[in-house]
Amino acid sequence: MHKRVFVTGVGIITAIGNGTGQTLDSLKKKTSGIGRLTLFRSIRSDIPVAEIPLSLDQLSEIAEADPGSGPVTRNTLLSLIATRQAMLSSNWDITSPLRSGIILATTVGGMDFNERYYGSLLTDDTHKDVITLLDSADCTEKIAEYAGIRHHVTTISTACSSSANAIMLGSRLIRNNRLERVLVGGTDSLTRFTLNGFFALEILSPTGCRPFDRNRNGLTIGEGAAVLVLESESVADPSAILCEITGYANANEAYHATASSADGSGAFLAMKEALSTAFLKPADIGYINAHGTGTEINDLSEGRAIEKLFGNDIPPVSSTKAFTGHTLGAAGAVEAVISVLSLRHQMLIPGINFVTPMEELHFLPVPEATPCRLNHVMSNSFGFGGNNTTLIFSRS
Amino acid sequence: MEELIGELKKDIIEALSLEDVVPGDFDAETPLFVEGLGLDSIDALELILLMERKYGIKIEDPKERRNVLRNVRAMAECITVHRNNHK
Repeated sequence: MHKRVFVTGVGIITAIGNGTGQTLDSLKKKTSGIGRLTLFRSIRSDIPVAEIPLSLDQLSEIAEADPGSGPVTRNTLLSLIATRQAMLSSNWDITSPLRSGIILATTVGGMDFNERYYGSLLTDDTHKDVITLLDSADCTEKIAEYAGIRHHVTTISTACSSSANAIMLGSRLIRNNRLERVLVGGTDSLTRFTLNGFFALEILSPTGCRPFDRNRNGLTIGEGAAVLVLESESVADPSAILCEITGYANANEAYHATASSADGSGAFLAMKEALSTAFLKPADIGYINAHGTGTEINDLSEGRAIEKLFGNDIPPVSSTKAFTGHTLGAAGAVEAVISVLSLRHQMLIPGINFVTPMEELHFLPVPEATPCRLNHVMSNSFGFGGNNTTLIFSRS
Repeated sequence: MEELIGELKKDIIEALSLEDVVPGDFDAETPLFVEGLGLDSIDALELILLMERKYGIKIEDPKERRNVLRNVRAMAECITVHRNNHK
């Protein structure tokens, strides 16, 4: 007997705010988090980023949690902040005997410490303790400890679909009654590694990303963390339920190491399969939070896939990456929380930095925060390697 | 106590941005969640932060937290006990 999967708590921190209140406010007022890099010195400092302008000490203070002894990476602090919000909102009890899991996603792990200590690690042992913090799973293990989770602890790293896959796996574990509650989400901090790496791929926007614009010129790297509490229908407190996860799918088009196929076949398959797991028709979707990175290839391929699936009846679409930047491993969870807010407030989320329509597509991004009756919201997250994931959130 | 209840109602309306609600719309015993004001878990977090930041009260036990956040009177009583303990 399958169990329904409810979202009973959320937490979020990105360049547009700490918590759902600030996040929603920025989305409504169309305030972008994209700006100048101040967190670290870089030869790429002329490239805009969406950073959270807080130091490790400031983040520690906000996290209000003791993640154990020793130094803590930026990734772990960001996810602690989001996790604490999610746990408080769902009234998570760390002493509960419920079968509980945690599935967190990241692409950089403790890269900020790697960059800071790499030089000294080559010459002496002073900082050798930080080596264990570099691993992607370090953050998940610390949060698992914090949340009292023993049953299922997993870290997912599938590039930009990482945390959408964490949400999908968590949903499946609950649906199939393997777990009763699970913390799912993702975190990625801004690092030289990502900034220089994406620069080398020649897909960073020199001006700030503008999803679905004809003159789009690349993506903007962001940072952040978002965490959701998912609970089985058999244990969820009705007063805590925010919405239901009804659909999810992952489809790999195996086309290219980094590029998506021109016709968006992987994106199309992910959206189509997600609809079918939710027993929904395309016309049931009231809003699509697109992957919409602002790169030439993604927006065209995703747009074509949307047009192929929805035909002449395309629901309102926007990408929120011109607000938060592309938060990579956190993006799926960040946009999941934004989708939950869209449903909760019955509001279409606008896309910003859009000026000129693309010649190839027949839809425009949502221009303003607009009240709208929404029953089902779709969120897309597509990763390098053709790893495409679609989630569907429904009013419960 | 009544004064504190009035203040809390205003705090709640502000913290949760309840645009269509005025303090007269609910009383101290009105359930805050599900029926009554119909709040959800995102609102719950805002109420927890309100208790922490404005009133300096951190409730660690989730069961007690749920009990305190059931209505305005329970919140006011918790604040009063906290104030008396810190006199």
